[in-house]
Amino acid sequence: MSAPRPSTIFLAAITALVAVLLYSPLFVPIVSSFFTISHGNVDWSSPTLSTYVALAGNHEILAALRTTLIVGLCTVVLSVVSGTLLALYYHGRRFGRSYLQFIIFLPFLMPPIISGLALLIFFREIGLERSLLTVVIGHTVFVLAIVYRTVLMRLQSMSRTLVEASYDLGATGWQTFWRIILPNLSSAMVGGAILAFALSFDETMITILVTGTQSTLPVRLWAMMRLGFSPDINALVALILMFTVLLCVLAARFLIPRQMATERT
Amino acid sequence: MNQNIDLLTLRSVSKSYGTVPVLHDIDLSIRDGEFLTVLGPSGSGKTTVLRLIGGLEPLTAGEIRLDGQDISRMPINKRPFNTVFQDYALFPHMTVSGNVGYGLSVRHIKRKEIASRVSQALELVQLGRFAERFPAQLSGGQRQRVALARALICQPRLILLDEPLAALDLELRRQMQEFLKSIQREIKTTFLFVTHDQEEAIGMADRICVMQAGHIRQLGTPHELYYKPNCEFVARFFGENNLVAGKLGPVQGEQRPIETALGRLVCSICDQPHLKTAPDGVSAFAAFRPEALHLADAKDGANRFSGTITDLAFAGSSTVATIMAGANDAAQRLRLRMPSRIDGSALKSGEMVSLCFAPHEGHLVLA
Ligand SMILES: Nc1ncnc2c1ncn2[C@@H]1O[C@H](COP(=O)(O)OP(=O)(O)O)[C@@H](O)[C@H]1O
Ligand SMILES: [Mg+2]
Repeated sequence: MSAPRPSTIFLAAITALVAVLLYSPLFVPIVSSFFTISHGNVDWSSPTLSTYVALAGNHEILAALRTTLIVGLCTVVLSVVSGTLLALYYHGRRFGRSYLQFIIFLPFLMPPIISGLALLIFFREIGLERSLLTVVIGHTVFVLAIVYRTVLMRLQSMSRTLVEASYDLGATGWQTFWRIILPNLSSAMVGGAILAFALSFDETMITILVTGTQSTLPVRLWAMMRLGFSPDINALVALILMFTVLLCVLAARFLIPRQMATERT
Repeated sequence: MNQNIDLLTLRSVSKSYGTVPVLHDIDLSIRDGEFLTVLGPSGSGKTTVLRLIGGLEPLTAGEIRLDGQDISRMPINKRPFNTVFQDYALFPHMTVSGNVGYGLSVRHIKRKEIASRVSQALELVQLGRFAERFPAQLSGGQRQRVALARALICQPRLILLDEPLAALDLELRRQMQEFLKSIQREIKTTFLFVTHDQEEAIGMADRICVMQAGHIRQLGTPHELYYKPNCEFVARFFGENNLVAGKLGPVQGEQRPIETALGRLVCSICDQPHLKTAPDGVSAFAAFRPEALHLADAKDGANRFSGTITDLAFAGSSTVATIMAGANDAAQRLRLRMPSRIDGSALKSGEMVSLCFAPHEGHLVLA
């Protein structure tokens, strides 16, 4: 090829600019978390880990983090079990399946404030006190669609003859489920679980509406904003960013089908 | 094992998907220990027959009997049959030995016995070294053999194979044909083998069942199908054939003439009672194989006609001539096959020749 044409250079420059504009804000907190902030300005002269030390001593934030993790884990368990069951139902039976799918997707597609208000009113009507339980229910309703969709897609890409072969070889329905269907779904379930956890981790709007006295991390951050940021926030944001990236990489690994499951001649 | 005893019988079996009929009133008996091939073009209902026998689909009408017992409503996992699926359907998350042992382990057979039977089965299909591989790490032919081992380890009464060789290339297909045949002789299990490839069917089958559009057209040995097709479809589908339309004349013992554009052709009707009873003047075809057609010499009397050679094709051991025979307005395209000779063909393109076939090498099919 000859030297790049001006149009190519122009496009490359625009792409680079957009990338920088979009992504640099994400890196500022990571970088600045390694420096002290005095009088509202970052002091770039001496790198330090003091913000991380301060974070470790901030009991409010640590409590919020613990709450978030508990809610996240409960949400994952509930949504993976029910999402998988619903996907199996949709895949195998005809009765009411399109209505069911619509209902599963609704809370995910509606504005969170509407879902949150609906849940809030529902909990009050049935007399369920606002607590971590209501938060877990709210999160599960919200993330169910993701797990359901992930598992369903794997189910639909699974060759139907695998199940037929299992029966043909003498297995019962129960044996077929545990030994053929579930192992082939497991990586999709793990991927769905990671996505569900990531969604639950930063869910704010529904949580604010349905939580009791305990706040999750995003809610806590939200409240702290009114008082101005303390330097340890930078450290927290940096940690969360890195953690989220890790989760996304993991999810991608589980969801992109392995060679083993797909290869055909 | 007795090849004269019926293992499995289909009686007036019909199948519809929704309102679309796919199989019409099928009657079929599979003998114990035989290699029966179901042959037919794509869409003729071969897979459906297999799925009905295997229990993967319910019957719409009729019944299936095993040793005389109706098994139409027996669930799949209770039927003593095993299937080799067209896409092999190997379990991707299990090793080769996990796949092969699956049918035993779901029956709660002891681990030790499973291990020894799995290694026996893998020896039989010559895959002993691959026991710990995953299906994705095997070639097409190897997967094929895993699927076979997995089916026969359960010692089924009948093994159902749905176009198992269709995905393999020609060379491998030849090897697998011989291999399957030798395994079938060794374990003496009944094989029901589906294919759309008539050469494969001729080479492997004890008997062939020809299907078309959801009907069984003919069931017989490869020899019977080749030399005594009972309808136009089988005559055309099964091997190369010359068909000449005409009207039947009166029966003459074991032979019967037919009036065609090439004149009166006399053909054998022995062992074909339906051709004896067909009334005079009925539309039919004279059918004769390219290798039955030859150049006429002075002593040939019957079935003589002349034609012009339009093409000569050298095909290795034999040479095929395309011939236009009969009057111009009713010319028939025929093929003649003869052994090739090192000093070139005795025939020349464009040459006018006198041809004939012996009455016992011609047969009739009703139109
Ligand atoms: N599940 C199904 N639903 C509707 N039609 C089907 C189904 N399976 C097969 N058919 C139809 O039945 C006919 C026979 O199919 P099949 O038995 O697969 O033929 P073959 O194996 O000889 O190619 C075809 O016309 C096919 O379209
Ligand atoms: Mg088929």
